Amino acid sequence: MSEKELGQKWDRCLADCAVKFGTGLGLGIVFSVVFFKRRTWPIVFGTGLGLGMAYSNCQNDLRSHYVLQSKVAKEQ
Amino acid sequence: MPLFATKLTLAGGALYVAYDSGLLGNGKEGSVALGRAKDAFPPAVEEWMKYFGFQLPATPKIEFSPLDAWNSGVQKSFHALSVAPSTASDYTKQGLQYVKDLTK
Repeated sequence: MSEKELGQKWDRCLADCAVKFGTGLGLGIVFSVVFFKRRTWPIVFGTGLGLGMAYSNCQNDLRSHYVLQSKVAKEQ
Repeated sequence: MPLFATKLTLAGGALYVAYDSGLLGNGKEGSVALGRAKDAFPPAVEEWMKYFGFQLPATPKIEFSPLDAWNSGVQKSFHALSVAPSTASDYTKQGLQYVKDLTK
Protein backbone atom coordinates (compact mmCIF):
# COMPACT_ATOMS: atom_id res chain seq x y z
CA MET A 1 0.00 0.00 0.00
CA SER A 2 1.43 3.43 -0.92
CA GLU A 3 2.04 6.06 1.74
CA LYS A 4 -0.60 8.31 0.24
CA GLU A 5 -3.18 5.51 0.46
CA LEU A 6 -2.13 4.76 4.05
CA GLY A 7 -2.45 8.43 4.95
CA GLN A 8 -5.93 8.54 3.47
CA LYS A 9 -6.92 5.43 5.41
CA TRP A 10 -5.71 6.98 8.66
CA ASP A 11 -7.61 10.21 7.86
CA ARG A 12 -10.77 8.16 7.29
CA CYS A 13 -10.12 6.29 10.54
CA LEU A 14 -9.86 9.48 12.58
CA ALA A 15 -12.93 11.02 10.95
CA ASP A 16 -14.91 7.83 11.52
CA CYS A 17 -13.71 7.71 15.14
CA ALA A 18 -15.02 11.23 15.75
CA VAL A 19 -18.35 10.45 14.07
CA LYS A 20 -18.90 7.18 15.93
CA PHE A 21 -17.89 8.72 19.26
CA GLY A 22 -20.40 11.53 18.77
CA THR A 23 -23.12 9.18 17.58
CA GLY A 24 -22.56 6.76 20.47
CA LEU A 25 -22.59 9.62 22.95
CA GLY A 26 -25.75 11.08 21.45
CA LEU A 27 -27.64 7.80 21.32
CA GLY A 28 -26.42 6.97 24.83
CA ILE A 29 -27.81 10.28 26.10
CA VAL A 30 -31.14 9.66 24.33
CA PHE A 31 -31.50 6.16 25.77
CA SER A 32 -30.36 7.31 29.21
CA VAL A 33 -32.95 10.08 29.32
CA VAL A 34 -35.79 8.08 27.75
CA PHE A 35 -35.44 4.65 29.37
CA PHE A 36 -32.90 4.65 32.20
CA LYS A 37 -33.80 7.66 34.36
CA ARG A 38 -30.75 9.75 33.40
CA ARG A 39 -28.20 7.27 34.66
CA THR A 40 -24.62 7.54 33.47
CA TRP A 41 -24.00 3.97 32.36
CA PRO A 42 -26.00 4.08 29.08
CA ILE A 43 -23.99 7.12 28.01
CA VAL A 44 -20.71 5.39 28.78
CA PHE A 45 -21.96 2.20 27.12
CA GLY A 46 -23.04 4.04 23.98
CA THR A 47 -19.72 5.88 23.75
CA GLY A 48 -17.87 2.62 24.19
CA LEU A 49 -19.96 0.97 21.48
CA GLY A 50 -19.20 3.85 19.11
CA LEU A 51 -15.47 3.69 19.77
CA GLY A 52 -15.50 -0.09 19.35
CA MET A 53 -17.29 0.22 15.99
CA ALA A 54 -14.76 2.81 14.87
CA TYR A 55 -11.87 0.55 15.93
CA SER A 56 -13.35 -2.38 14.05
CA ASN A 57 -13.90 -0.29 10.91
CA CYS A 58 -10.32 1.01 11.09
CA GLN A 59 -8.99 -2.50 11.48
CA ASN A 60 -10.93 -3.77 8.47
CA ASP A 61 -9.94 -0.78 6.37
CA LEU A 62 -6.24 -1.14 7.16
CA ARG A 63 -6.30 -4.90 6.60
CA SER A 64 -8.35 -4.79 3.40
CA HIS A 65 -5.26 -4.17 1.27
CA TYR A 66 -3.75 -7.50 2.33
CA VAL A 67 -6.86 -9.67 2.37
CA LEU A 68 -7.53 -11.74 -0.76
CA GLN A 69 -10.93 -10.90 -2.09
CA SER A 70 -12.52 -13.37 -4.42
CA LYS A 71 -15.15 -12.31 -6.85
CA VAL A 72 -17.50 -15.17 -7.56
CA ALA A 73 -19.24 -14.82 -10.90
CA LYS A 74 -22.96 -14.74 -10.41
CA GLU A 75 -24.64 -17.60 -12.16
CA GLN A 76 -27.40 -16.31 -14.35
CA MET B 1 -48.54 1.96 27.94
CA PRO B 2 -48.86 5.12 25.79
CA LEU B 3 -45.87 6.61 27.61
CA PHE B 4 -43.78 3.55 26.86
CA ALA B 5 -44.88 3.65 23.21
CA THR B 6 -43.82 7.34 23.01
CA LYS B 7 -40.44 6.56 24.54
CA LEU B 8 -39.97 3.64 22.16
CA THR B 9 -40.86 5.88 19.20
CA LEU B 10 -38.38 8.55 20.32
CA ALA B 11 -35.51 6.14 20.89
CA GLY B 12 -36.29 4.16 17.74
CA GLY B 13 -36.51 7.37 15.72
CA ALA B 14 -33.12 8.55 16.99
CA LEU B 15 -31.59 5.17 16.14
CA TYR B 16 -33.17 5.21 12.68
CA VAL B 17 -31.92 8.75 11.95
CA ALA B 18 -28.41 7.75 12.99
CA TYR B 19 -28.57 4.65 10.77
CA ASP B 20 -30.09 6.49 7.80
CA SER B 21 -27.48 9.28 7.76
CA GLY B 22 -24.68 6.71 7.55
CA LEU B 23 -23.36 7.39 11.04
CA LEU B 24 -23.31 3.69 11.90
CA GLY B 25 -21.79 2.46 8.64
CA ASN B 26 -18.22 1.83 7.58
CA GLY B 27 -15.30 4.27 7.58
CA LYS B 28 -16.06 5.83 4.20
CA GLU B 29 -19.66 6.65 5.14
CA GLY B 30 -18.45 8.08 8.47
CA SER B 31 -15.98 10.45 6.85
CA VAL B 32 -18.62 11.51 4.30
CA ALA B 33 -21.02 12.25 7.18
CA LEU B 34 -18.32 14.29 8.94
CA GLY B 35 -17.73 16.27 5.76
CA ARG B 36 -21.46 17.00 5.47
CA ALA B 37 -21.56 18.13 9.12
CA LYS B 38 -18.53 20.41 8.60
CA ASP B 39 -20.19 22.00 5.55
CA ALA B 40 -23.48 22.49 7.36
CA PHE B 41 -21.94 23.94 10.54
CA PRO B 42 -21.12 27.57 9.52
CA PRO B 43 -24.54 28.33 7.93
CA ALA B 44 -26.26 26.80 10.98
CA VAL B 45 -24.15 28.96 13.34
CA GLU B 46 -24.97 32.05 11.27
CA GLU B 47 -28.70 31.31 11.37
CA TRP B 48 -28.64 30.82 15.15
CA MET B 49 -26.70 34.09 15.56
CA LYS B 50 -29.32 35.94 13.49
CA TYR B 51 -32.10 34.33 15.52
CA PHE B 52 -30.58 35.30 18.88
CA GLY B 53 -29.36 38.65 17.59
CA PHE B 54 -25.71 38.67 18.62
CA GLN B 55 -22.44 38.33 16.77
CA LEU B 56 -19.80 35.81 17.72
CA PRO B 57 -16.25 37.20 17.50
CA ALA B 58 -14.48 36.18 14.31
CA THR B 59 -12.24 33.14 14.70
CA PRO B 60 -8.56 34.17 14.51
CA LYS B 61 -6.82 32.84 11.42
CA ILE B 62 -3.86 30.67 12.34
CA GLU B 63 -1.23 30.41 9.63
CA PHE B 64 0.32 27.28 11.14
CA SER B 65 -0.75 23.99 9.55
CA PRO B 66 0.05 20.85 11.57
CA LEU B 67 -0.33 18.69 8.46
CA ASP B 68 2.41 20.57 6.63
CA ALA B 69 4.64 20.96 9.67
CA TRP B 70 4.39 17.33 10.80
CA ASN B 71 7.57 16.07 9.12
CA SER B 72 9.34 19.42 8.87
CA GLY B 73 11.85 18.57 11.64
CA VAL B 74 12.89 15.34 9.94
CA GLN B 75 13.00 17.00 6.51
CA LYS B 76 15.15 19.88 7.75
CA SER B 77 17.52 17.53 9.61
CA PHE B 78 18.06 15.34 6.60
CA HIS B 79 18.45 18.33 4.29
CA ALA B 80 21.14 19.66 6.65
CA LEU B 81 22.85 16.24 6.67
CA SER B 82 22.77 16.02 2.88
CA VAL B 83 24.37 19.46 2.37
CA ALA B 84 26.76 19.02 5.34
CA PRO B 85 29.81 17.80 3.30
CA SER B 86 29.63 20.63 0.75
CA THR B 87 28.91 23.23 3.47
CA ALA B 88 31.83 21.92 5.56
CA SER B 89 34.20 22.08 2.57
CA ASP B 90 33.05 25.65 1.78
CA TYR B 91 33.64 26.76 5.36
CA THR B 92 37.05 25.00 5.44
CA LYS B 93 38.09 26.76 2.23
CA GLN B 94 36.93 30.11 3.63
CA GLY B 95 38.80 29.45 6.88
CA LEU B 96 42.02 28.49 5.04
CA GLN B 97 41.72 31.56 2.80
CA TYR B 98 41.28 33.77 5.90
CA VAL B 99 44.38 32.23 7.52
CA LYS B 100 46.35 32.70 4.29
CA ASP B 101 45.24 36.34 4.14
CA LEU B 102 46.36 36.81 7.76
CA THR B 103 49.84 35.34 7.08
CA LYS B 104 50.41 37.55 3.96
